[in-house]
Amino acid sequence: MRDYIIRRILYMIPTIIAISVIAFTIIRLPPGDYLTTVIAELSASGAAVDSGTIAALRDRYGLGDPSYIQYLKWISRIVLHGDFGLSFEKNVPVNALIWDRLGATFGISILTLLFIWAFAFPIGIFSAVRKYSMGDYVVTFFGFLGLATPNFLLALVLMYVSVRYFGQSVGGLVSPEFIDTAWSWDKAIDLVAHIWLPIVVIGASGMAALIRIMRANLLDELYRPYVVTARAKGMSEFSLLLRYPVRVALNPFLSTVGWMLPTLVSGEIVVSVVLSLPTTGPMLLRALLSQDMYLAGSIILIASLMTVLGTLLSDILLAWVDPRIRYQ
Amino acid sequence: MPDPLLRIEDLRTHFFTPEGVVKSVDGVDLTVTPGRTLAVLGESGCGKSVTARSILKIVDRPGRLVSGRMLWTRPDGSIADLASLPPTGPAIRAIRGREIAMIFQEPMTSLGPITSIGDQISETILLHHPISKAEAKSRTIAMLRRVGIPDPEARIAAYPFQLSGGMRQRAMIALALCCAPRLLIADEPTTALDVTTQANILDLMRALQAEDGMAMLFITHDLGVVAEIADEVAVMYLGRVVEQASVDAIFHAPRHPYTRALLRSIPRPGSRARLEAIRGSIPHPLARPAGCAFAPRCDQAIPGLCDTTPPDAYPTEAGSVRCHLHA
Ligand SMILES: Nc1ncnc2c1ncn2[C@@H]1O[C@H](COP(=O)(O)OP(=O)(O)OP(=O)(O)O)[C@@H](O)[C@H]1O
Ligand code: SF4
Ligand SMILES: [Mg+2]
Repeated sequence: MRDYIIRRILYMIPTIIAISVIAFTIIRLPPGDYLTTVIAELSASGAAVDSGTIAALRDRYGLGDPSYIQYLKWISRIVLHGDFGLSFEKNVPVNALIWDRLGATFGISILTLLFIWAFAFPIGIFSAVRKYSMGDYVVTFFGFLGLATPNFLLALVLMYVSVRYFGQSVGGLVSPEFIDTAWSWDKAIDLVAHIWLPIVVIGASGMAALIRIMRANLLDELYRPYVVTARAKGMSEFSLLLRYPVRVALNPFLSTVGWMLPTLVSGEIVVSVVLSLPTTGPMLLRALLSQDMYLAGSIILIASLMTVLGTLLSDILLAWVDPRIRYQ
Repeated sequence: MPDPLLRIEDLRTHFFTPEGVVKSVDGVDLTVTPGRTLAVLGESGCGKSVTARSILKIVDRPGRLVSGRMLWTRPDGSIADLASLPPTGPAIRAIRGREIAMIFQEPMTSLGPITSIGDQISETILLHHPISKAEAKSRTIAMLRRVGIPDPEARIAAYPFQLSGGMRQRAMIALALCCAPRLLIADEPTTALDVTTQANILDLMRALQAEDGMAMLFITHDLGVVAEIADEVAVMYLGRVVEQASVDAIFHAPRHPYTRALLRSIPRPGSRARLEAIRGSIPHPLARPAGCAFAPRCDQAIPGLCDTTPPDAYPTEAGSVRCHLHA
């Protein structure tokens, strides 16, 4: 197991390097160098641009150097100093902007993942064991509905319902009066009252997919000879179900850890915009629109890194559950 | 004859498929004697496995026991009709694995793929005995040693995919015997193994049976295996037992035309007789003949009788035979 983990971590290194190169390429993608952008930005905001500032910036980003030097300067500032550069638009370090947002993104991701698991697990098992029953048809119907409904539409419908029938303010993670206030019981309760909505909206299609996967996987296992063996030992249906076929069918659940994050960071931008969530999605969208490339590149870099870590985590979980992976 | 351990009377297990009712087992009568081995012999598809699964009530859907009695003698001497027990209830579960255990045809897929063999065995022991985990573990190690698995202390942690086919079948046997059952049902336990391993496993099973005094219901389509292991033989054809007799009677004085045809179809040491395949083929399970199921292939069929009236089972000196010739 230890060897397996070490091997996985070593495999991650080239991936991480590739990701950083891609993020850097994206940063350099807009025409002209950053400086042109910065100067344009600065003069657009009415600030005087003196040659000292320009020279300092030029040196800081290694402009004029070949690309690979620029990349090395950029990446070593990040690795050695945790300095992600400057947001051109806001003219503040990227660091000052992204961490709250990333926190919100990962918080919501993890809660959504738990939400998906908590429902997809029992429902998937149920609809496999009671294949073609009334309950299975109901689950399947809502599953396909969940898969087919665009998230932003679901978001709008749920927002309408909760404003219209529950008189609740929606959008954001807390009510307007709690933004920028210290944590208190009231704020926490308010957070819970808000956060269910993005979790449901973001989780809906993933949950529907996972229920289908769990059902199909479990149906594959349910009639295997080893299940008959367990039955012939005298185990009860419930315990043999959980102990044998479900454990084998569990793999897709653990893999979700890996694919949840990218969907949340990228795929749910629209949802986050609709719900005005303080996550990285809307910030990334805005940064790309305004060519705030250090901000955009940093978000992409960190989100991708987290995805790689998520994949590592799910690989480790898979190996922990399945000895065939562990010993291969 | 001692009292039977298990007596099956007119067992019928049918599969209700969309294409029609497949009468896989359609009136099986069998008697298992304590401590003895009954071989169930028959061609592929004749209902051997379905009969075995019916005894433990583990027939897969859409199969269902439709009628019959299976009288099982409990260790306390009382008689339970297995056919009447609910298939998922506690009564049959107390018997499964504890009083009647089963070994399956495919050693490759019959063990849980991601659970260590030690866990799979000790779990069974714990299910039926109020003992500690440590005690169950030491019994598991002892059992693995008995079935000839080398270094059992280390092997309890092994997973099925780390074992060879022969070792897996040994683990399977250890699993079946870990609660010292009174009847072991072995459904072609050696078919998937190579010849040498097959012989080793048969020797092992015979030795374990001699030690424990359990009865065996040994399913096979291999007459060589029958000769080696059986005391009694039941020959099945298309969902019914056509002849049950002692192993000597089956080999030296077969009564049923099908049994005779089977014997003619295998090479026998010292015999120069030409081999004969059985004429025709097994009827489709959905289209069983109206009279004797063997009539279309039988050389001695009596026209007007065999093709219209199913024969009853008639007693012989060594057992019984289901054929109009022996009425
Ligand atoms: N799940 C099922 N659904 C429909 N029919 C089935 C099912 N299982 C078994 N049968 C039918 O029951 C009949 C007997 O099958 P069974 O497995 O008992 O044969 P067998 O004698 O054990 O043969 P083999 O030597 O190949 O193992 C077959 O004709 C098969 O088509
Ligand atoms: S009953 Fe008739 S057809 Fe059937 S085996 Fe006997 S002789 Fe042949
Ligand atoms: Mg079979």
